[in-house]
Amino acid sequence: MTVVAQQVADFVTASAPFDTLDIDSLTNLLSSAELLYVTQENLNTLIGPQIGQSRRVYLIQSGQFSVSVGQESQRYVSEGDYFGFQSVLDERDYSLSVTVENPGLIYSFEAGAFKALLSHQSIAGFFHGLRHDVLQNQAITDSKSMWLYKPLNEVTEKQPISADGNTSIQQAAQLMTDNRVSSLLITQAGQLVGIVTDRDLRSRVVAAGIALSNPVSSVMTPSPAHVANNLTLFDAMALMTEKNIHHLPILDKESHEPVGMVTASDIVRHQRGSVLFIIGELSKADSLYALTRLAWQIPHYFSAHAKHAGDYDIAGKVLSQATDIMTRKLIGFFQKEHGKADMMFSWLVYGSQAREDQTMGSDQDNALLLAEPPTKAQAAYFAAMADYVCKGLGMCGIKLCSGNIMASNPELRLSLTQAVKQAQQWVNAPTKDAIMHFNIFLDVRCAAGDVGLFKSLQRQRMPLLKQSLFLAALSRHANEVSVPLSLFQKFTYEKGGKQKDTIDLKVRAVALINNIARIYALASGVTAPGTLARLSLLPDNSELSTKDAANLRDIWIFLNRLRWRHQLQNNVADNSISVSSLSSIEKHQLKASFQAIERAQKAIVMNFSGGMA
Amino acid sequence: MVLQWLRAFLSNGFFRPGHSALKRFKGATIKDTTLMSIDLELTSLDASKAEITSFGWVCGRNSNIALESSAYSVVKTKATLGQSPVIHGLTQDNISKGAMIEDVLHKFIKQLPDRVLVIHNATLDLAVLDAVFKRLNLPAQEVFYIDTLQLALYQLKKEHEVVPRNSATLGACLQRAGLPEAPQHNALEDAMAALLLCYAQLAALGLTPQSCLADLSHTLALGRKTLGERKD
Repeated sequence: MTVVAQQVADFVTASAPFDTLDIDSLTNLLSSAELLYVTQENLNTLIGPQIGQSRRVYLIQSGQFSVSVGQESQRYVSEGDYFGFQSVLDERDYSLSVTVENPGLIYSFEAGAFKALLSHQSIAGFFHGLRHDVLQNQAITDSKSMWLYKPLNEVTEKQPISADGNTSIQQAAQLMTDNRVSSLLITQAGQLVGIVTDRDLRSRVVAAGIALSNPVSSVMTPSPAHVANNLTLFDAMALMTEKNIHHLPILDKESHEPVGMVTASDIVRHQRGSVLFIIGELSKADSLYALTRLAWQIPHYFSAHAKHAGDYDIAGKVLSQATDIMTRKLIGFFQKEHGKADMMFSWLVYGSQAREDQTMGSDQDNALLLAEPPTKAQAAYFAAMADYVCKGLGMCGIKLCSGNIMASNPELRLSLTQAVKQAQQWVNAPTKDAIMHFNIFLDVRCAAGDVGLFKSLQRQRMPLLKQSLFLAALSRHANEVSVPLSLFQKFTYEKGGKQKDTIDLKVRAVALINNIARIYALASGVTAPGTLARLSLLPDNSELSTKDAANLRDIWIFLNRLRWRHQLQNNVADNSISVSSLSSIEKHQLKASFQAIERAQKAIVMNFSGGMA
Repeated sequence: MVLQWLRAFLSNGFFRPGHSALKRFKGATIKDTTLMSIDLELTSLDASKAEITSFGWVCGRNSNIALESSAYSVVKTKATLGQSPVIHGLTQDNISKGAMIEDVLHKFIKQLPDRVLVIHNATLDLAVLDAVFKRLNLPAQEVFYIDTLQLALYQLKKEHEVVPRNSATLGACLQRAGLPEAPQHNALEDAMAALLLCYAQLAALGLTPQSCLADLSHTLALGRKTLGERKD
């Protein structure tokens, strides 16, 4: 029997995707593996076809190397990176050229043992993804969003009430009354054969004048619709809607014995446990007090109910919608007291609220757009309204903007003509400082007030913002911040943080994708502010290919999941993720994401700035 | 190279002319030498009293470790463990379930021909093995070895007037070489770590796959020892 040294097992089992392997597969892989100490001097005697070995897959444990396979350009690789797998996957010999930048340890796996592992979906998917530089997005395609995707065995609490088919109707009704249930399962030898509900007792027994001593099986609904306990609340709800029923028995997936019951009221109850519920409640608030009280519940709701990746995907949207509702409510409260405005206005929101990717730490960025230059009285009215709404949002937990990008700032209460003129100025002089200042205004949405007014602003601005010199300036600006990877593709960390290995995912990654999506959107005249919406709305002739857009979308979703999880799990509002808190596969995905963002940044410069960064 | 080899050849005190095994050992290229790194966990640091509680080894050639050559045996012993379980984690209970030392040594001896041992602090481990060979009356075995402790001391002495305390322990050496730390004290883990360290040390001394072991003579890390009593 082979013994596996602990240090070998420790490293390999911590390396994605082998961390998903069972012990037998792992032992099998390791028993034919070699561990190499590779230096520039011994390299040619250890790696490569010249040493007469069959093809092998290499995994770096330490050291830094540069590798190029076949026609691919040279890649810098270090701890946790693989090479050589392309030849094994394709059963073809590609030229492999390795340079040692820093000597270190490399595991070398035999092709046969490696290929045996490709029957595992997780392993095959990982290496397929690695070669195509796509994010491992299985998790993303698997789970749509949702709160309702809780498995039924997590949400059913009580045992179902059941009776034998020979029980009299009266006894059955008694049983239902005693247990305070509105339906009864009829079983035979433990298996479900029918169901009786309150409604059946009314329509099939009382209304039809049937004797109460008759067996309950004579009035039950035989072979009722049911659902297996490994399905989700969503499945149950869909089935109940489709069949127009209010009671759905849950059966054990294996034994088919009834294990529970979902009722329409259960579903209503579970919706309470959803952040969507808070939106409904916010809409009902009738005073500033009620609104702030509910708003402060939001972080609590999120941390209590957002548990799955799918939850994080809609969290930003839910939070942005909640902020929109608060804004509309506050405007309503103000108008109730001071009367309606005598001029059309739009309440504009910028940045994360506009893109609908708010997180707990996002502060408010907003402005007022007025149909005409205001009179003195009108100006005073809007100043008071803006002040009331911004302060009200602050009271609701949406931080005041430290950069004073708020409607309460008189410079951000422009008339339509002024706003168009301002855009003209941006386009005329897109200096670095100017872009820093107005970049945030390019992601804009109308959250309250007159949408038509906002649309006419967009219509008039669109041709200006499409101008190539302007886009070139934006592209150069979009390259000012780089992804946190070193030349050797190692993570580089923020300096001076409390923890040594943190990365600000907002500044160093999410914002970069936002910039990229914004530029392509402006170039194609797409006015939607959201990054995902922009990526999906790009026309076919966009410079960004559909495939790259889809990849950026997956990366964006992945990064947002990481930062939401970070915020909710650690109860913080920052975006500084500690890399050591990530799983091995997440680290790989994060690195792949950064690399893809970097490529997209370069492409932006090529497409819009003639290759000049 | 030849000159260096010759110098080593002449300067080596224990060299006896005509000893072909030694010549082969020192003349073989690194590329063609199979190294066998061994480590013993002992009940005591006193070679005359120490008993072996576990024995681990792993083999490799030319900066390559074949993981399937990894071997690890817990040895049955009645000797008192003293303080050492704190270090290597073996308790009386799992030791009493271990293998007979004769069986473990038998496997070890079978591996020996044409192998050069790698040991961190060879003196102690070889003295213990010698004592056990004699006690069990096993046929004598001549072993050639590289002592990674001596290699480390050679390098340390080049850098320091006085070698800093604890700077030549296996852990400290691994750290300096940028190699992963070996988890706990376990005979297989330490044997593997010592072999990786040896590879790193050879590279640091500028040896290539074409160099021969004699190129290490000036470091005093090469050695030869006969385990057990010669009967002739």
